Amino acid sequence: MANEKKSSAGNRRQFVRTNVPLAELIAGGVIIVLLAGIAIAIAIKGRHFNPDIFAVRTDSLKSTIAAVTGKGGTAQSAPEVKPPAGNSVAEEGSAESTMAPAKPAAKGEPLEISLAGIKPMSPTEFYTSDNLFEKIDGRAPAYQGFNVQQLRCRSFSVLAAPDSFVDVYEYRFDNPVDAFGMFALERDPKGRSLEFAADGYSGEMGYFYRQGAVYVQIIASDTKAETLALAKAIAENRAKELPADDHGLAGRRKLPADGMIADSVAFVLENAQGQADLKEVFQAKYKFDGAELPFFIMVTTPDDAAKAWKSFQDFCGKFGTAENLPDVNGGKIFHAQVFGKWKVVYQRAGELGGVFDADDAAKAQAFIEKYLRGEIK
Amino acid sequence: MSESISRESSVNRREFLLRLGVTGALIAGSGLAARKLWQPKHFVPGFEKEVGLQLKSYAPEVSKVLPSLAIAHGTEHEKTIRAAMGALGGMDRFIKHGDVVMIKPNVAFDRPPALAATTHPDALRAVAKLCLEAGASKVIVADNPINSPTGCFFKSGLSAVAASMNLDLLYPETNSFSPLSLDGEILKEWTFFNTPFKKATKVIGLAPCKDHNLCHASMTTKNWYGLLGGRRNQFHQHIHSIVSDFALMMKPTLVILDGMNVLMSNGPTGGRLSDVKPMNTIVAGTDMIAVDAYGYSHLLERDIAELTYIHKAHDRGLGNKNWKDTNFKEVQV
Repeated sequence: MANEKKSSAGNRRQFVRTNVPLAELIAGGVIIVLLAGIAIAIAIKGRHFNPDIFAVRTDSLKSTIAAVTGKGGTAQSAPEVKPPAGNSVAEEGSAESTMAPAKPAAKGEPLEISLAGIKPMSPTEFYTSDNLFEKIDGRAPAYQGFNVQQLRCRSFSVLAAPDSFVDVYEYRFDNPVDAFGMFALERDPKGRSLEFAADGYSGEMGYFYRQGAVYVQIIASDTKAETLALAKAIAENRAKELPADDHGLAGRRKLPADGMIADSVAFVLENAQGQADLKEVFQAKYKFDGAELPFFIMVTTPDDAAKAWKSFQDFCGKFGTAENLPDVNGGKIFHAQVFGKWKVVYQRAGELGGVFDADDAAKAQAFIEKYLRGEIK
Repeated sequence: MSESISRESSVNRREFLLRLGVTGALIAGSGLAARKLWQPKHFVPGFEKEVGLQLKSYAPEVSKVLPSLAIAHGTEHEKTIRAAMGALGGMDRFIKHGDVVMIKPNVAFDRPPALAATTHPDALRAVAKLCLEAGASKVIVADNPINSPTGCFFKSGLSAVAASMNLDLLYPETNSFSPLSLDGEILKEWTFFNTPFKKATKVIGLAPCKDHNLCHASMTTKNWYGLLGGRRNQFHQHIHSIVSDFALMMKPTLVILDGMNVLMSNGPTGGRLSDVKPMNTIVAGTDMIAVDAYGYSHLLERDIAELTYIHKAHDRGLGNKNWKDTNFKEVQV
């Protein structure tokens, strides 16, 4: 019998407490009462909402305010507007002027211009790629496409012309090539070239140019003579102050100016003409002997230029007809007809270029030969 | 000994039922308490979803006789706007004596007027004058520019007009915004520049006609974008959907498209006079989609097929993209 009982209970120890100590009973009771008290307290707290406990403490978010106040979020305080001239000007470091937007997150050197006849209307504004939309809204993606790093801008009142002002925008890109790319995208086809900036032009109300990795826009508020004169002076000042840097733009410098159609310059980062070896290529269209000829140029090492020239020639021979032409002034040339259009491509030292998509082979060849002889500059 | 232990550890029927009852009551009580305390919308009490405002319609009664769209060609803002409004039946068709009129210009940027990136001051002056002539007791001018409001209003020349005509120029302040609820394609709940609408009895949208880098065009429908607060640039990912939602959000009394000088390229900011083309046209109407359809095809001179928001709004019954099918009138000053 004892063995049967043991078997039914398995190996589990049979243990029954017949006497529970009073202290243990009291402790258990206290725990139950405490648990009930906690439950009641939670219920009461939940019913009586205390915002000090549950509400978001906005002061704890102050550290994030700088990132969003550029657009005032929804709303920066906007005090009464005062005219720009005279005593309404706020200097750098002073309290925000009435014209100033809330400070964006980005910082930098203030835009100071030491010229007579102008006075800052507001502190310098800074924007990064991330918050550029706060200044130019839907235009920002176009600049971001060229890797814009920062916008620094400031407005200056024209002391000689009440209510007139000049806006200075300096868009800094990651390199001169990207700055050129954005500049070229917005180029005014009717713009007049500038003496103080190779990649630049003036319009009826402003000056636009690339200086190093910076795309500068000087915009006058009107066409008054005083305003335009100061806009020009500011443009020249900024061209002097900003460091020159044409890194990556050697090809651009090689593009001849004679006959160039002003708004036609373009930059192709890679795979120009469908050729893997053609990188960082500049293109432009030229008026030549009554025809319009697209021309490209790439500057690299002599070995790479020779390799790309040979590769291009092989490609043209594969998909059309390619033939060598006599060398001209140290440049070797081939011409090719591919898909009904003519190409005339040369290589001289580290320079590779040519006319492409031409309808007239003779004019394309004549253009290249004249260029290699230095007759088109 | 074993039998004794077994008897002592067993539970009699009464005790078993008692324990079962207590356990069941505890489980049921816990469930009821949890249900009572549980808030499905938010964990923290007091943070229940706020019900946003619904904008009322400011649209005039539909006329079977008078045109709903007017196109006026001229060289001066005031004369051309007067002609457009005359073709619609006069400003007093829309504005009654004692009305408080809210004019919503596009003052998105701190650009001078000549660059055509903002509502021209001459256009604002002319529209405000017509409203006052029609008997408006007050004219409010309000916008929430993406950039500094004071700078934008000053450089665009609109603050000078407001000052000279004693118009109420409302800048966005921290407490100017209220949550808006809309059953839009994209726009559902968003903070909205509501202060001007607390007083206004009539609403007029007064927009420039311009190129836009993302939306292809910024005209009378996109003009309402300037009433949104917050980091509204996030809607740029769905620009045509949000713009079409504005045709649902706003039922204005009237919209006026200023096509005297049109920003044809490098919009929405522009920056060069060469981007601007004189088109010498004012378009006014009660259907912003019809007005924009004319503006895109005849002022920006582009194919309306590519302007997605127009088609979205039309398909949702929020306007008529076929402006020629509307009752329109074209006049020459």
